[in-house]
Amino acid sequence: GTSHNPSEKLDLDEWKKVMKSGLQEVNETVSEHKELSTLAAARETVQMWRLAGRSVPENISEEQLKTFMECPSKSSKKKYLKYLHLKELYKKNDKRKMDEKRERRLETQEKASKTDEIKRNSFACLWANAIDKTHNWRAAQSMVFGQPLVFDMSFENDMSPREVANTVRQIVLSEGCNRKSVDPFHIHFCNFKDNSQYHREFIKHYREAWDKLLITVTDQCYTNVFPKDKIIYLTADSPKVMKTFDHDKIYIIGSMVDRSIKTGVSLAQAKRLGLETASLPLEKYLLWNVGAKNLTLDQMMHILLTLKDTGDWRKALEFVPKRKYCGFVGRSVY
Amino acid sequence: QVLSRHKFAKVQPPEKPLQAEEWNRLRENFKSPEIFEDVMLNSMVRCNSPIDVAKSLLTSVAKSDGDIGYNLLIKYLALCVQQRKTAEICDVYDIMKMRFKILESGAYNLLIRGLSNSDQWRMALTLLEEVKKVTTPSRTNYESCIKAASRHREMNLACELYHEMLAKDLVPTLDVLQAFFDFSRGMKDAELKKELFGILLYLRENQIYPHRTFMRSIKLWFESIPGENWRGHLTNIKDSGQCPVCNHQLEDSDLTEEEYNNLRERIITDVIHGSDTFRKTSPQEFEAFQTFVEDRLPFDIVIDGLNVSHIRPRKMQCENNCECKSPQNSHFQGFVLKSSLLLEIVNIYSHLKSDSFKLFYAVNCLAKENVRLLVLGRKHMLINSSNWKQEIMKEIQNKADFFFAENISEDDAFLLYATLRSGKHCKFVTRDFLRDHKACLSDSLTRHLFRKWQRGHQIVFSPSAEGKHINFLPAFNYDCVVQTTGNTWHIPYKDTFEERYSYQVPRKWLCLQLK
Repeated sequence: GTSHNPSEKLDLDEWKKVMKSGLQEVNETVSEHKELSTLAAARETVQMWRLAGRSVPENISEEQLKTFMECPSKSSKKKYLKYLHLKELYKKNDKRKMDEKRERRLETQEKASKTDEIKRNSFACLWANAIDKTHNWRAAQSMVFGQPLVFDMSFENDMSPREVANTVRQIVLSEGCNRKSVDPFHIHFCNFKDNSQYHREFIKHYREAWDKLLITVTDQCYTNVFPKDKIIYLTADSPKVMKTFDHDKIYIIGSMVDRSIKTGVSLAQAKRLGLETASLPLEKYLLWNVGAKNLTLDQMMHILLTLKDTGDWRKALEFVPKRKYCGFVGRSVY
Repeated sequence: QVLSRHKFAKVQPPEKPLQAEEWNRLRENFKSPEIFEDVMLNSMVRCNSPIDVAKSLLTSVAKSDGDIGYNLLIKYLALCVQQRKTAEICDVYDIMKMRFKILESGAYNLLIRGLSNSDQWRMALTLLEEVKKVTTPSRTNYESCIKAASRHREMNLACELYHEMLAKDLVPTLDVLQAFFDFSRGMKDAELKKELFGILLYLRENQIYPHRTFMRSIKLWFESIPGENWRGHLTNIKDSGQCPVCNHQLEDSDLTEEEYNNLRERIITDVIHGSDTFRKTSPQEFEAFQTFVEDRLPFDIVIDGLNVSHIRPRKMQCENNCECKSPQNSHFQGFVLKSSLLLEIVNIYSHLKSDSFKLFYAVNCLAKENVRLLVLGRKHMLINSSNWKQEIMKEIQNKADFFFAENISEDDAFLLYATLRSGKHCKFVTRDFLRDHKACLSDSLTRHLFRKWQRGHQIVFSPSAEGKHINFLPAFNYDCVVQTTGNTWHIPYKDTFEERYSYQVPRKWLCLQLK
């Protein structure tokens, strides 16, 4: 119940007066810019969407704005802006966390300097460096003695720029976990073209380190590098299910992320070259729940490394994302 | 932030306008005061609160901040549009125009919708022009304007806008099309009549079926054309394709020679080869299949072997059904007696459940005198197993030609090719709707051809209600599409608003005759 004094009667249209007053000068500046360039108009539209409360980034670069304008449909425009918006949010969060961390570090340093205690340690603070060296030594070993693992880099044309970027990111992660493993694979990038989209993305990630990576990069097809009968192409579409990990075979992983529905692209590649194919025995070991059977490249790498070291499928398939399965088949029986 | 908005969406707006202080008090008691106005206005829109309540909230915001955010203005605008407060809509528009260089699509959508329903409908047209400067208006923008124009009997303007939207590849809603018929009733205008016939042809070309109320609008318009004596009747077309009202024989679903060849070419290039022949088959395999088909042409019926054999009549499924065990009581009785071979093996219960038996049964149903059958399968069917009894497979091969594709190839593509290669008379059997193959076709025209051809050539089957036998529904003899002879129109319509599956076609028709 609302009871208000009739003497102070509400002027319901007062807000209009407020909005209209003192805006004359704004109005004039607006009319000056009546004709906006298309780019500026797009920027303005994005800004208005932001004001309307849609998921839109606060800042948008010229390049992003051009990508935005080239989106073929309204929904793709919306999706792109939402993607940028989320990216911006993550970045902001990361920065906030970094700042907090720095602050905490400074605080503890201050405390430490107050106590003025010198810690003696037989190892100089070169941990990271030493570990890097060990990893590189192992990777170098693998270059000579390691089991080859091939990334097939021939799917650039089947992917959008974003998919290529995702692919490269996943391969970078894979390379990282391979380097850190006890017994790394000798990684091969086959069908790799200089100046390809893949190449440009790799340079974005590795910068100068790209030339120092302990992997083999070639524009040759794996069929020219390895004997055909030793090759097994890993693809989720394969009708054959992998039973054991074979240390004498050369496994091939298609370097592809497909966000759209493109089944059988890598299977087609293997069929064309007359290669043996195999898929992971996901159904045999896991009670599958949701999601596609194709895994990310770094998940594949984790699984293959674990198989190589232990031969234990259950241990290896722990790397399948938990949301995709409800449990292991017959775990209680064993 | 988005989440919290949902969390607080259940706030109850007051019933009467409040003073600024009262709003402030509410705001302070609200869990997250920074989005209080957002949440409050949202619930006002949802509860359709009196507009004065919203005004009082805006006034309190204006008093404290000296400004009102765009997001709040839009929500207020939504409330005004909902309640058709034209003057208020115009006021908000004036304020927005003053404050912002351009508006975004959400505001334009609301403004156009709000104004087109008012006596200020011409302003909606101006706004439409404004939208065009920045982006393509949405189809609902056009819908509002076209409806407004036709409501005011400005049919030329409505037609102009309609063509404009078609030129922009926007798909008009059935509502818009219906509006044309509703508002043209009784008008004597040759140009307009041509336009409306054009709309009917648009329905024909895009294989769209009007719903019941739209159909009624069409009927009433026809019957209202001055100086012409059209009579409309609702009817069901006979299986033969004859209209019971006017005895007119409907068009058949045959494609023209050119269309047919075009479709066949496109099936080969888009569906079978696509971007990579290896994805569905391999060049060697496809070549082998082509040679196989050429040697044995023409077939009358092409059967998707795996699809047919996977049918599960209810009684076949139940394992402990004693009926299945004894051949005398078996629901295949009549059929079993025809085949001595089967009498021999039918004692073995597992045979009845096997896929090969079901395929055998289906082939027998379809096999008639001098009918050439082709069954497409995969190689794994040739390996003796509990599902694929080789004795039965041999028996089937006596009645039909067989082609076994590799286990990883897609037999559907072969099905389409063999049927199309055999000629117009050839039908195919599968329960698959072939939607993924239709989707491979790159343009809508070919997709329409494909659907038309599919309607006329696909034999669909299903287990009968009692599960005693399999029903084969023959392909239509006539094409289910809007059609005319000049003196007659036949228009298929959907009886209900509910969405029909794309493969289902309506059985009810509107027959229009010029007497």
